Amino acid sequence: MSDMWINMGPQHPMTHGLWNLRVHIDGEMILGVDPEMGYLHRGIEKISEDRHYNEVITLMDRTCYVAGMAWEHLYIQAAEKALGLEPPERAEWIRMMSEEFQRLASHIMWYAAFVQDLGLMSPFLYGMRDRDLILDLFQSYTGGRLTYEYMRVGGVRNDLPVGFNDRARKVLDWLEPRLVEYDRLCMGSDIFRRRCDDLGILKAADCVKHGVTGPMLRSAGSKRDIRKDRPYSRYAQVDFDVATAESADVTGRYLVRMEEMRQSIRILRQTLDWLDHHPGPVLADRLPRWLGAPYAPIGREAYLLKRNYPKGIGLSAIEEPHGEACAYVVNEGGEHPYRVKFRSPVFANLSAASQYLVGYHVADIPPIMGSVDVCVGEVDR
Amino acid sequence: MAVTTLWDVAYFLSSGLLGVLAHILPPLAWLLTNPNLVWLLSALLFGAILLGASMINTIMLIWFERKMLGRFMDRRGAMHVGYAGLLQNFADGLKLFRKNTFKPREADDLGFYGGPTAYMVTSLLMFGVLPISSGWSDGALPLSMLLALVIFSFAPLFIFISAWSSNNKYSLMGGMRSAAQMIAYEVPILLAVVAVVLVAGTFDLNQIVLEQQNYWFWGPLFLALLVFSIGMLAEMERIPFDLPEAEAELVEGWNTEYGGMLFAFFMLADYLRALAGSILIVLLFLGGWTLPTYVPAVATSLPLAGIIWFMVKTYLVFGVFVWIRAALPRVRTDQLLRIGWMRLIPLSLVAVVLAAALVLVKCLPVFGCVPSMGG
Amino acid sequence: MAAEIEKKQNPSAESPTGAVLKPLATAARQFARSLIRPSTILYPFERLEDPKFRSEVAVESGRPIGVGEVWDNYRGVHALNVNTCISCNLCAFSCPDLCIEMVTVPGGDPKHPKKCPQIDYGKCSYCGFCSDACPEGCLTMTTKYELSTPNRKDMVYSPQKMFEQFQRKLPMNPIRLERPANEDAILLDAPLCIGCNACARDCPTNCITMLDIPKEAPKPGEKAAKRIWKEPVVNDSDCVRCGTCISVCPKECLFWGTHS
Repeated sequence: MSDMWINMGPQHPMTHGLWNLRVHIDGEMILGVDPEMGYLHRGIEKISEDRHYNEVITLMDRTCYVAGMAWEHLYIQAAEKALGLEPPERAEWIRMMSEEFQRLASHIMWYAAFVQDLGLMSPFLYGMRDRDLILDLFQSYTGGRLTYEYMRVGGVRNDLPVGFNDRARKVLDWLEPRLVEYDRLCMGSDIFRRRCDDLGILKAADCVKHGVTGPMLRSAGSKRDIRKDRPYSRYAQVDFDVATAESADVTGRYLVRMEEMRQSIRILRQTLDWLDHHPGPVLADRLPRWLGAPYAPIGREAYLLKRNYPKGIGLSAIEEPHGEACAYVVNEGGEHPYRVKFRSPVFANLSAASQYLVGYHVADIPPIMGSVDVCVGEVDR
Repeated sequence: MAVTTLWDVAYFLSSGLLGVLAHILPPLAWLLTNPNLVWLLSALLFGAILLGASMINTIMLIWFERKMLGRFMDRRGAMHVGYAGLLQNFADGLKLFRKNTFKPREADDLGFYGGPTAYMVTSLLMFGVLPISSGWSDGALPLSMLLALVIFSFAPLFIFISAWSSNNKYSLMGGMRSAAQMIAYEVPILLAVVAVVLVAGTFDLNQIVLEQQNYWFWGPLFLALLVFSIGMLAEMERIPFDLPEAEAELVEGWNTEYGGMLFAFFMLADYLRALAGSILIVLLFLGGWTLPTYVPAVATSLPLAGIIWFMVKTYLVFGVFVWIRAALPRVRTDQLLRIGWMRLIPLSLVAVVLAAALVLVKCLPVFGCVPSMGG
Repeated sequence: MAAEIEKKQNPSAESPTGAVLKPLATAARQFARSLIRPSTILYPFERLEDPKFRSEVAVESGRPIGVGEVWDNYRGVHALNVNTCISCNLCAFSCPDLCIEMVTVPGGDPKHPKKCPQIDYGKCSYCGFCSDACPEGCLTMTTKYELSTPNRKDMVYSPQKMFEQFQRKLPMNPIRLERPANEDAILLDAPLCIGCNACARDCPTNCITMLDIPKEAPKPGEKAAKRIWKEPVVNDSDCVRCGTCISVCPKECLFWGTHS
């Protein structure tokens, strides 16, 4: 027996979701890999074509179940462009705050799962504990902990409740020292460094070639971040740095994500300060009938054709916690989007698996795949 | 104080029991008072007590780990079955006991069923030679430490057999890793033990403990303790050296295909070995059951003082292992072997040389003057 | 290939074993912290929605368990006030999962039976669109979230069952959405109307009245119409914009629009 294929997945502790990594191994050495996706395909893009613009939001939370807000934001931006609507200023800031909280929650979740893959169980529970506070914050203004259904075309559903900003600041105050603790458990540990240094190397050129984005690309030294390069929402008005690392390995991705968490906290503090002083409406005044705030149904096709709402195409890209996500919404004048298409960053990051897995050990698969931060929900959609 | 050994207890119980029986059934008195029968029954009782004590201790050890790991992880651990979850593991065991035993179709019968059984049996066997207190085992076992280590090193064989015969790639990889790891770490462990033997001058565990009346060996033999503990960590297959069952990549390693009671065998045997490892550390380095001199004589004269003192130390040693588990990630196979062959073996050789030097220059009694060394 | 693969091996693995003390110290610190009270919420016994427990442990009190007043707008099982429900169908229309069915409840007249929503929680995604759409505020979401059951049929909550939730007076979502000031209204394409009264009959709020309109004088050569012409007039302030009139109109002469 010189070499063999083993299936890591679809039900395997390494996969974090439903996908299958077929690994060609020789002893403990990886000779080749073959990622198979599609086990979690729910046809979200197709279902979206049969829903009102606002109803698609319920699907967005389920597209990526650890970064629901980011995907809501992504879709909403595209839909608003397609419909020619402009949200109020305050809504934009609330959206940005939501996205940053989501990034924080998603990265903490990633940290928990990633370190768990290395066999260290306690950070998993620390991470879950701290992420729960952010979910509580989400719950306090959206009513949901995982599926928020908060953003609406033309704004957000409701304003922040009284006292939210202070609670959010307290949570941030609690989280900041926790990040130091996370670092001590990982970067302070020699075993962790030995496991992760020079592992899963993917250079910037290869990243670009395979469409790999997000922390993986930034860990290779590239300063690519849509929030800086093509600022959407109000990212141009807040102060933050793009986290990068040079090593292009698992440690680099770890460092990038940790730094991004700190930058998220920085953005959040500025955003909360802005929200303190700028009350205002959070939903646009003039909305098409079927988008109106009491969520309203049902014009009829005949009426819509009569009314001739403007057609349009919306394209938006955001820096989702996992990478660069893109949404494309076509408005052909009906009450449903004519076509909705998403670009999932993890799909590209995962597809390049053979580039950063071959040549390492079987025991290296969990940390490397963990550093990719796989969210199968958005891979398969 | 008359030393009551476990054998005495067993003998007393069996002769008493048979005496009562002979009283009730006079026609059988000739048989029931036969000294050979009494001896046989007391031997059985001896084994039963040993078995029960070690099993209950093992299960308590699992409880201890669950509670302690829980606190390390900011949670509580088992807490509902029994007081503070004390009976949770018994409930779990009962659940596993009731489960159906299944076997993959192509698995080898003998290896699949025999492997875990033999693993369990050899792990239990160890407790026959590990003395818990001065009177634990009857008579002198001049090579009891070697015997214990020999039994301890049976494990990779049985793990590999059961992994190979369960016809699963993950099991096979886990089994091979396990064998490689255990064989690699046998060497430093034995060398560290050599250091102890040099200082103690005997292979008898009882004698080794008695030698520590004045000073515990961890002071002079700190390096050996370090090597021995790391080696034991690997032998017990605990984090950070639990790669044979690294669940992230190998599902459950060599016990992937096992469920129900066979899995319980593996689980129990693992913790039996953990208990044995902790006991060995206490015996060899931490003074065994010898109470420190500053403990008042009243406490010393209590019937079970030595055993309780011994168990406290054992659980503390295991607590350190739990602590390590809560804080350190798993190493990789090649790193593990590299640590074993390239770091621990040289270190253990140094430890042996140091121990020999200490014996040669006769400076060991110095440690007896340091109060914190026990004594 | 093998040589190339070998080169990728971890070079830093040669560095000496050392720093494991930092993580050990961190774990020990956590151990000491959680000796007093671990962050776990002992769920069936301690509940975050319990205000007393919340005030003890929430982030405002310096403990890291939970964030204060978060439960009031939780989107859980619905509560339905059957008495104020006007059977406007808006909840069923707005449901993305089509889990709301309008079922007849006692209380209506035989000609126009009263219909209230019945929700299948096996399908419900708890998005809250239905309670946002409810014009009367009679369908709200409560903080109740425990509805596991061994029987799938128990997941279907009838209006009566949701009325029980309402009577339990659980905290309900306090955030009501404002209706936009200049909402679209129901407009009439008058030349198409045949005055059939269907819209006024089915209007849940009775905001449509059929008014006589002045008959135009017949053009020369035509016979004067025999019947009296009536046209619906919508009272915009009472209208809840449910669209029932539009959907029942046989001639498709009602439509959404602005009065301008």
